Amino acid sequence: MAGAATTVSDTRGVRHLFHRPKGAIPYLLLAPGIAWLLVFFVVPMWYLGKMSLSQGLFPIFSFGWVWGNFRDAITSYQTQFVRSGEYAGIATLVALLVSYPLAYWIAFRGGRWKNLFLLLVIAPFFVTYLIRTLAWETILADNGVVVHTLQHLGILGANGRLLATSAAVIAGITYNFLPFMVLPLYVSLEQIDQRLIEAAEDLYASRATAFTRVTLPLSLPGVFAGVLLTFIPAAGDFINAQLLGTPQQYMIGNVIQSEFLSVRDYPTAASLSFVLMAAILALVLVFARSLGTERLTVAA
Amino acid sequence: MLSVYAAIALAYLFLPIVVVVLFSFNNPKGRFNYTWEGFTFKNWENPFGFPGLGGALRVSIEIALLSSFFATVLGTLIALALVRYRFRGSGTTNLLIFVPMTTPEVVMGASLLTLFVNWRIPQGFGTILIAHILFNISYVVVTVRARLVGFDRHLEEAAMDLGANEWVTFLKVTLPLIMPGILAAALLAFALSIDDFVITYFNAGSTITFPLFVWGAARVATPPQINVIGTGIFIIAVTGMLGTILLQNYRSRKGALAV
Amino acid sequence: MSETFTRDQLLRRAVAGSALLSVPGLLAACGGGGKKAAATTTAATVAQKMPKSLTWSNWPLYIDLNEKTKSHPSLVAFEKHYHVNVKYLEDINDNDSFFGKIEGPLSQGQSIGRDLIVMTDSSGLPQRMIQLGWLEKLDKAAIPNIKNLIPAQQHPDWDPNRDYSLPWQSGMTGIGYDPKLTGGPIDTFEQLLTDPKLKGKVTLLVEMSDTMGIAMLANGDDPTHVTDKTFDNAINLIQKAVKSGQIRQFTGNDYAPLLANGSIYACLAWSGDMVQLQADHPGLKWVLPKTGGMIWTDNMLIPKGGNVFGASTLMNWYYRPEIAAEVEDYVNYICPVAGADKVLEKTDPAVAHNPLIFPTKAMLANAHQFDAKALNNIKYKKKFQALIGG
Repeated sequence: MAGAATTVSDTRGVRHLFHRPKGAIPYLLLAPGIAWLLVFFVVPMWYLGKMSLSQGLFPIFSFGWVWGNFRDAITSYQTQFVRSGEYAGIATLVALLVSYPLAYWIAFRGGRWKNLFLLLVIAPFFVTYLIRTLAWETILADNGVVVHTLQHLGILGANGRLLATSAAVIAGITYNFLPFMVLPLYVSLEQIDQRLIEAAEDLYASRATAFTRVTLPLSLPGVFAGVLLTFIPAAGDFINAQLLGTPQQYMIGNVIQSEFLSVRDYPTAASLSFVLMAAILALVLVFARSLGTERLTVAA
Repeated sequence: MLSVYAAIALAYLFLPIVVVVLFSFNNPKGRFNYTWEGFTFKNWENPFGFPGLGGALRVSIEIALLSSFFATVLGTLIALALVRYRFRGSGTTNLLIFVPMTTPEVVMGASLLTLFVNWRIPQGFGTILIAHILFNISYVVVTVRARLVGFDRHLEEAAMDLGANEWVTFLKVTLPLIMPGILAAALLAFALSIDDFVITYFNAGSTITFPLFVWGAARVATPPQINVIGTGIFIIAVTGMLGTILLQNYRSRKGALAV
Repeated sequence: MSETFTRDQLLRRAVAGSALLSVPGLLAACGGGGKKAAATTTAATVAQKMPKSLTWSNWPLYIDLNEKTKSHPSLVAFEKHYHVNVKYLEDINDNDSFFGKIEGPLSQGQSIGRDLIVMTDSSGLPQRMIQLGWLEKLDKAAIPNIKNLIPAQQHPDWDPNRDYSLPWQSGMTGIGYDPKLTGGPIDTFEQLLTDPKLKGKVTLLVEMSDTMGIAMLANGDDPTHVTDKTFDNAINLIQKAVKSGQIRQFTGNDYAPLLANGSIYACLAWSGDMVQLQADHPGLKWVLPKTGGMIWTDNMLIPKGGNVFGASTLMNWYYRPEIAAEVEDYVNYICPVAGADKVLEKTDPAVAHNPLIFPTKAMLANAHQFDAKALNNIKYKKKFQALIGG
């Protein structure tokens, strides 16, 4: 069974078998899940959509094709939008760099203990977010060991601190989304036939070349999935900025949170949400194109 | 070298957990567990001493198990359809999978509540479950899809050449090979569910989950028992997993010897 | 209409049936003597009107708790006395969030399944709910103990006759600080904003009423009557400190761990939190700013659809000084019931003499409330959010 990537001609036979005129199969498979999404997501989004085009003061809002809400949303909060993209982007990159070796190790060296390690990866979630963050606040406290050491080493200024900084917010986001990056990476890596790597090395490729020419490309579906599962929710995050940041770190998620709960300006909150969602989707599309979507979302 | 990197990553992941476990032995005089005040076993002797903590935990675990199960089933089916088949509406379906992940939690939670209120659905365990399955589906689809995309179709072709029909091939060849992906997705869904706060808050009615309890109590107290419970679940889960692995090892060794 | 208050109607039907069972029991329990006739009438009335169960939503750890039996003694006593089952929920942890949860059903005339809820006046929400008609009026006839309400709380701006609300606990907002780290007392808001020793070590609160109220007082303005000018002046005062990095963060009560571990030296803090922090860090201090601090009150309210008689009776129970004392001993915020401190003198003098739990007249005179109308003013809210949200 040779060959790294299957090509169209190889699989035509298989495709023929699976794509017989049973056109109903995909729809049957989709039905339950999509029905769930339609009822419990699309319908609420419909309400939200109407609200984004409304205006008024709580609790009376009247629908009126108020497109100005969107214009205002984009112009008033540009800083926060851009910042959210930056923070989420950096957090995703760091998460990728930290998670890849871990996922690789679990996939190739984990042996029978693979599942145990996967469990360990999500274990921090058993202790609620608040308690984990309080622990970080203890570790990174201004007069704690970590900060003192960094000040000593000159990395932090004499009055430097780790908490209430962009670094803290990004670190918080990264930390909380690590499992979202590790698991998809693992899923893709574990599938790689080790013999392919051996074959490459037999053909005089160095370890590094074998990695970049064989392993990495084959793990791209996992990378793609991990990046999506991390970046998308991170862009809308608010809690890390609230607990670990100053007003200069607030993200668009914080704005939406306060517009919705405190100010109760639902039209603004709704339109901000849609702008955020559209922006994230656009970025995802660009990213997918640059990697080559076909290879990542549809089996050859 | 790789092992070093992996160890560092794992250490980073567990650094705050070490502090959490440590503080479960803390002995504060006040109601806050913020600074180290002395060692004690009494929190471990009385982990459920806080009324409501045990109940909230049970609710959270039940919901996490149920929602991860259903979301995994629904999501895997969708992933299979998207990856294996070309059909009209695949683009829209893709969109429908991504959009829930992009929605800010406060907005998703509140809009879902609006739905329940308009349709006169009382909020409680059921609505929390509905909400959790909802947001978990997307994550399952994306995770399982990563596995399916890299799946070697030749294996299925070979099985069918040997006389297996589609259904048998799926059960005996495909499913076992994508199972790691499905399990990983289920784990992710479980984690998402057990830690969810915002969406749950809006749709919980008067039911209290573990995160709701902790966030709620945090205004006036952070009892060390919360740390005890968190550590406890972790220990139970790891022990359970270890047990299963050791059992498998034992069985396979027996089997090998028998041959 | 039929579906909105169904629960109420069901409760009434259930009570009618149970009244026949409980009246003889109450008659037997009543002693002899000339007062018998009057006593039995009241008891019978109570038995007839009391529902079988009540649902009460409150903030967590805001009622007396027996940690061994995991029960709330005052509530258990109430249940025994009135033969009612009280479903006690601790599901309010933030005014805005809780309101966001209940406004849907209430705006559509649906009951939220609760007879009693507790919300803070400084959030502007109790006022809002009165305006929106989402609260039931109290049955004052069932609350004779209302006479125990301390004078300072009897006529708030937003509910001058206490028709809709009754205080549960109060708290004060002032300056909390660690004298070892600040190098001396901090007793003015000015110091928080300008003392160079405190740069990056100060936090303010996300509650508009607390932060803006204290800022206005520091400017010499009156927070009970907010004008555009006084509001803007307060914003500008704080803005400078935010831009310069003097103010580290705007927090909810997550200032507490920071103060405890020394990451911040001083902050705007709530009195109840300080009582807890001082248990482990006795050196921490709390004062009202010289120019004045704020006082806020968590009020018991009856949402539309709740059982008015039952909820009112429950409120009345907690206005007995001995019951209030029991609650106060555990909760340690500020008690609105006169006489509770006298009860605690004998049972727990430390609590009775703690000025953070039973503030002196001077302190109360220096603690103010925020203009109720301003709390719901969208323009002000947005300005404040812009200040704290960068």
